[in-house]
Amino acid sequence: MGAFYSSNDGMDKAAHRSSIQLEGSAKETLEQGRNRLVVAGVLFAFCFVILAGRLVGLALSGAGLSRTASEQNVSPKAAPIPLVGRAPVYDRVGNLLAITLDTVSLFADPTKVLNADDAANKIKSVIGELSSSSLVTKLGSKRNFVWVKRHLTPGQQQKINDLGIPGLFFRNEEKRVYPLGPLTAHLVGYTDIDNKGIAGVEKYFDEKLSGKSGAQAEPVHLSVDMRVQYALRDELSRYMSIFRAVGASGLVMDVETSEILGMVSLPDFDPNRPQDFPNNNKFNKTTLGVYEMGSTFKTFTTAMALDLRSVSLRNGYDATKPIRIAGFRIRDDHPKKRWLSVPEIYMYSSNIGTAKMADAVGPKKHKAFLTKLGLLRKPAVELPEVGAPILPPRWNSLETMTISYGHGLSVSPLQLSTAVGAMVNGGIYRNPTILKQADAKIEGRQVIRKKTSDIVRKLMRLVVEKGTGKKAAAKGYLVGGKTGTAEKAINGRYKRDALITSFVSAFPMNNPRYVVFAMLDEPKGNASTHGYRSAGWTTAPIVSRLISRIGPILGIPTIDEGSEKMQRLMHIPTYSREKKLATF
Amino acid sequence: MRWNLTILISVVVIAVSYGLYQLSYEVQALEKNIGKVRSEILVNEQAIQILKAEWAYQNRPAAIQELTAKYLPLLLVAPYQVVALRELPERQMDPSVKNIFGVPIPRTKPRFRRIPEIRLPNGALHMATYQLPRAE
Repeated sequence: MGAFYSSNDGMDKAAHRSSIQLEGSAKETLEQGRNRLVVAGVLFAFCFVILAGRLVGLALSGAGLSRTASEQNVSPKAAPIPLVGRAPVYDRVGNLLAITLDTVSLFADPTKVLNADDAANKIKSVIGELSSSSLVTKLGSKRNFVWVKRHLTPGQQQKINDLGIPGLFFRNEEKRVYPLGPLTAHLVGYTDIDNKGIAGVEKYFDEKLSGKSGAQAEPVHLSVDMRVQYALRDELSRYMSIFRAVGASGLVMDVETSEILGMVSLPDFDPNRPQDFPNNNKFNKTTLGVYEMGSTFKTFTTAMALDLRSVSLRNGYDATKPIRIAGFRIRDDHPKKRWLSVPEIYMYSSNIGTAKMADAVGPKKHKAFLTKLGLLRKPAVELPEVGAPILPPRWNSLETMTISYGHGLSVSPLQLSTAVGAMVNGGIYRNPTILKQADAKIEGRQVIRKKTSDIVRKLMRLVVEKGTGKKAAAKGYLVGGKTGTAEKAINGRYKRDALITSFVSAFPMNNPRYVVFAMLDEPKGNASTHGYRSAGWTTAPIVSRLISRIGPILGIPTIDEGSEKMQRLMHIPTYSREKKLATF
Repeated sequence: MRWNLTILISVVVIAVSYGLYQLSYEVQALEKNIGKVRSEILVNEQAIQILKAEWAYQNRPAAIQELTAKYLPLLLVAPYQVVALRELPERQMDPSVKNIFGVPIPRTKPRFRRIPEIRLPNGALHMATYQLPRAE
């Protein structure tokens, strides 16, 4: 710039100083040169003015194309908190159920290993669980990448590093850790060694947890309550060992939202090392297993008959003699051999009475009713392991009679609990969920009238107060429930010595909040039960203890269940026609 | 005048380029620093993850139950032993107390509905328990 101006100045001066007037072609040439210089100068000046103007403009307004790019680098967004790997899983109050930790894995480049035998021996001295023969073959192979050991402990890493073997390398990896061990094994599931979900929530929400689909990895908040889950598992495993059962299953569900607060299937496994457990342990009995539930189904049959006004509480059926139909004999486990009213049929768990009750309604309506309760199709819950119910091939009078007391139709404990929740919560069916729900009211569909639901509550309370489920009573809470004892069908035949005993209950019965379900697979009687194995003896005590434990945790106020007010509230006439001894 | 202008311009150019270089170095230093801070954050976060897992592991109900069985001679809590704060009855003032100022200072239990404290009279204060058992 300086040179430009000074030369221009010099020109002017030279023109002034010399007063010699040039003529002709010389003058023309000079004029032409001058003009060209001025034009070039003006052009350059124009360019510089534009550049300067642009600079000032950018400095002042900051608007422009280049800004967006620079903004991304400089703005606070440029320091994102890196969420390390797979997102965690929490329970409903924020306790950690699954988390990802950074670990180090050891791999080798066999082409760079000098002495395979020596290296294998040295590695084995640090990681004892590896077999030296396979190590030697690995390190002697002609590949250039072999895993030696995944997920070393920091101590092992230090020691391997200290060995100084050439050809061994570390790689940073992530490992999924389940701090609670087997407590929520079936619910949370587990991942394979490459952190891909292969069971439970880990599989169902794999994309969300890993952020695979481009989105940020998001944690999952389950509806399960760690304390309830623990109490459930503790009680189930205790009674499983008392009655030497081969398996157990339990469920605690909120009746208002159908959220699952606890879900246990025993035997279970430790998701931190799933390969050490047999596949039998990984089977989720609560959602994937379907069973003939036995007498707990009488709840639905009774509710259906009352709701469709096929029978009233005053009416009843004759249960003197077993029913003979199509070569089968339907008989009672606790035979009364007399006319029984509807409350009595339910209370004493009469198969004959219930079968007659269902027959009066008819197969078509029966099937439609059970469909409404979600018992005839696969339930929609956020787990990959969900079992579909097993329906009978035909559904005629005989099937209606057997299904009325829970034989011939296999459903999962999850389906049963959800349907019982609908029976006691005022008659609204809501899909079960394992995700924590916001406070908003969950939509559901009305399946029975509210009045029928009130009667079912009282009937369930009657069972615990006077009927087959007396052992389920918990001091301080109005527990109501229904026992269910079913013979296991093995190879198409019922086995008399293998039972599935279940107890489905709800509490507190004056305003039900939670459904509690417990089931034992093949319990054996012992001295404390006088050899009996039925549900009233084996599973009802589980529910009693469990409700005493979780009631205070869930903040359910205790009441004096023996008080006159509660007695009146829960009173239901039995309309019994039993001949009293005093009237002879 | 011409020379002055030239000198002025060159001084400005030198000053501006010095300033720009200084800025550039500062930015480079800060960038290096932010990289360090970020990697530190990452390390700390990983440590926090481990601590969280450790916390969850140590607090698992089975371990706590084991510890209570070992150190506390307690039985399973029965439901009727658990009472919510709002279920507790209001404390009745002892009828023998004539002077409210004789009652020790939290005169009411902490409730959800706080009862305003009665103002003390101006003047000399006296110890609360001092007057209490005096029978007139």
